[in-house]
Amino acid sequence: MIVVVGLSFRTAPVEVRERFATSTDTFPQVLARLAARPELSEVMFLSTCNRVEVFARPKTATEPDRALALRAIREVLGAHASVTDTELVRVVYEREGHEAIRHIFRVAASLDSMVLGEPQILGQVKSAYDAAVAAGSLKNVLGRCVQRAFTTAKRVRSETALGAGTVSISSVAVDLAKSVFGDLQKHTVLLLGAGEMAEAAARSLGKGAKAIHVCNRSSSRGELLAQEVGGQAVPWADMEQELGVADVVVASTGSPSFVVTRDMMKRVMKARRGRTLLLVDIAVPRNVDPEVHAIDNVFVFDIDDLEAQVAIGLDARKGEAARAEVIVEAELAELVKWAQALDVQPTVVALRAKTKGILVAELERSLQGRLKHLGETERAALLQMVESATNKLLHAPSTRLRSAATTENGGELVNAARTLFDLPEAKPEPEDDDGAEASEPERVVQ
Amino acid sequence: MHPIVADLLFYATAASYFAAFVLFLVHLTGNKHFVTALPKAVWLVGIGGVLHAAHIVVASLVLHVCPVKGIHFTMSVMSALACLVYVGMRTRYRVDVVGVIVAPVALTFLIASVVIGKGESADAGPMKSAILPLHIVSNVLGDALFLLAFASAVAYLVQERRLKQKRLTGLFQRLPPLDALDRAEHGFLLAGFPPLTIGIITGAVFAQRVEAGSAADVARAAFGYATWGLFAAVLLLRAMGGWRGRRAAYGTIAGFGFAVAVLLMYLFRGATGGEPVALLGGP
Repeated sequence: MIVVVGLSFRTAPVEVRERFATSTDTFPQVLARLAARPELSEVMFLSTCNRVEVFARPKTATEPDRALALRAIREVLGAHASVTDTELVRVVYEREGHEAIRHIFRVAASLDSMVLGEPQILGQVKSAYDAAVAAGSLKNVLGRCVQRAFTTAKRVRSETALGAGTVSISSVAVDLAKSVFGDLQKHTVLLLGAGEMAEAAARSLGKGAKAIHVCNRSSSRGELLAQEVGGQAVPWADMEQELGVADVVVASTGSPSFVVTRDMMKRVMKARRGRTLLLVDIAVPRNVDPEVHAIDNVFVFDIDDLEAQVAIGLDARKGEAARAEVIVEAELAELVKWAQALDVQPTVVALRAKTKGILVAELERSLQGRLKHLGETERAALLQMVESATNKLLHAPSTRLRSAATTENGGELVNAARTLFDLPEAKPEPEDDDGAEASEPERVVQ
Repeated sequence: MHPIVADLLFYATAASYFAAFVLFLVHLTGNKHFVTALPKAVWLVGIGGVLHAAHIVVASLVLHVCPVKGIHFTMSVMSALACLVYVGMRTRYRVDVVGVIVAPVALTFLIASVVIGKGESADAGPMKSAILPLHIVSNVLGDALFLLAFASAVAYLVQERRLKQKRLTGLFQRLPPLDALDRAEHGFLLAGFPPLTIGIITGAVFAQRVEAGSAADVARAAFGYATWGLFAAVLLLRAMGGWRGRRAAYGTIAGFGFAVAVLLMYLFRGATGGEPVALLGGP
């Protein structure tokens, strides 16, 4: 049983989302807090500009444990964003079971993105997965589920045209720049921040710009990006001066507060002698005070403002989205089969344990009685024989149980086996599925 | 020449302007099935401008009057000139869509020139002066350029409003870039200001000669000077104080409003039996 608790651009505006956003410093802390909750046996934390979500597996699949898990997640998110549970429930959504898995698949496949088909989300989910693996908070069930989400996303990308000609945040920024300046041949682009988004924006905007200036707190990172995009790194201390020179500013720093304030921009506009300035703020929390937009000849667009632009061309992609949804459903069905087979595993394990236990017990009794003259080698051979006999004896029943698990009457067969062999009641969903066939999750190489 | 030729040219011009206006609207709505609407609309404005000019020439021959003599003709000349300048300058400023304002304004001026009043004649005496033709021609040229500056300013305000309200889709999504509109508005204003200045100076000299002094004359002169003052302020504040964008657009629209007011004063004076002799800046 998988659960998801989250908020996205669909349920919360940017001024709410930015309260939940994490930086590179706070992300591991939130993940560690989630992983430390005893109500959760597996957890993955995803934090992007457009969504903050926690994917988790409760201790067991029972209703009370699910409720406890959901509450635990809300508590951690609420504490992180300093909001009460009442405030939180207004903006978060919760999904359970198949709905939760479908949600993960749709998120990874960019079917739930603000920009349908945008490629960045898959990388962001992979990063979240890697962080969870590194923190040891992913095991075989949620881990397998997320890996399947990657498979789904790859299929959607290769088998549909959902991502073809897609509108990314950076391409929307280019369109905005064109609405204001036409081509950028005589205009300078300033990047505030040198992260992944800044890089994407630089690659889109930089193609036709007169110059690209990269202004980053870490000068080494700024210089690296400037080198990559053929721009020029400028010191963070010169930001205000650079704002006076630039025509298009793309802000994407991890700053928790406004980097560009109204007072600063008033000074800048005076120095610019009223020349038009476009600021595209793709950071969450926002880098540019929204009040700046009220200043004459200054235009500020934050991540939510880009939604209207994204709507252009959405109709053309609806057909592709429908095809992508079919892939999601097919992959979901496959994962459900695997999960159902996983449900049979405790029965198979119990059957093996009981059979082997009986045979070993009988052998031990014989070895202490009539066969006590046997040496160590012979004893070991007999134990080996018991092991082989158990495997051969139970191979067909185990295989049939697993196959039947994915059918409608699978549950009946499992109950019959338990009754016939008098097996103990299995736990609904054990914390550690030792018998599960899935291996431990591995880091994803992006 | 037969008057029907002038009539035919008039209707053909009106049809061209109207068709151009419709095609501009089709383009602005972003209809993908009419991708060639914009170039066709621009062509129609050009054809309209040529037909308009032909209409003025033929009509003046039919009526046996100078094309820049009466206010009706001068208004017509001004709008035809604006259309031809628009077609010539559109590639420089990349503001093709501004035609959506130029075409209907030209159509309005064309219709107004035949609907309001008739082709009254000016006093033969003043027309003999070398100053008056210069005064009228410079004002016609100035007003034609101010019409284009006005159209750019209106388009700028619409585009600026869309961006400020962050409504990037829907009608007017194909308006030219904000910066291009600002530059076009400034360019047309800058080009129109010297002819206007000449018009003001020649108007003042001419006023002195004819010693006009009625209340209507004073009002027209006052509006003419106000037009010049407004445009001068817009240009000066832009150069000195960085007044760009919205402020400059409002100033341009206000200036053009005064220019139109002067035209209307002449027009209605002509319609009530007065004597239209100048466009702007003096009696």
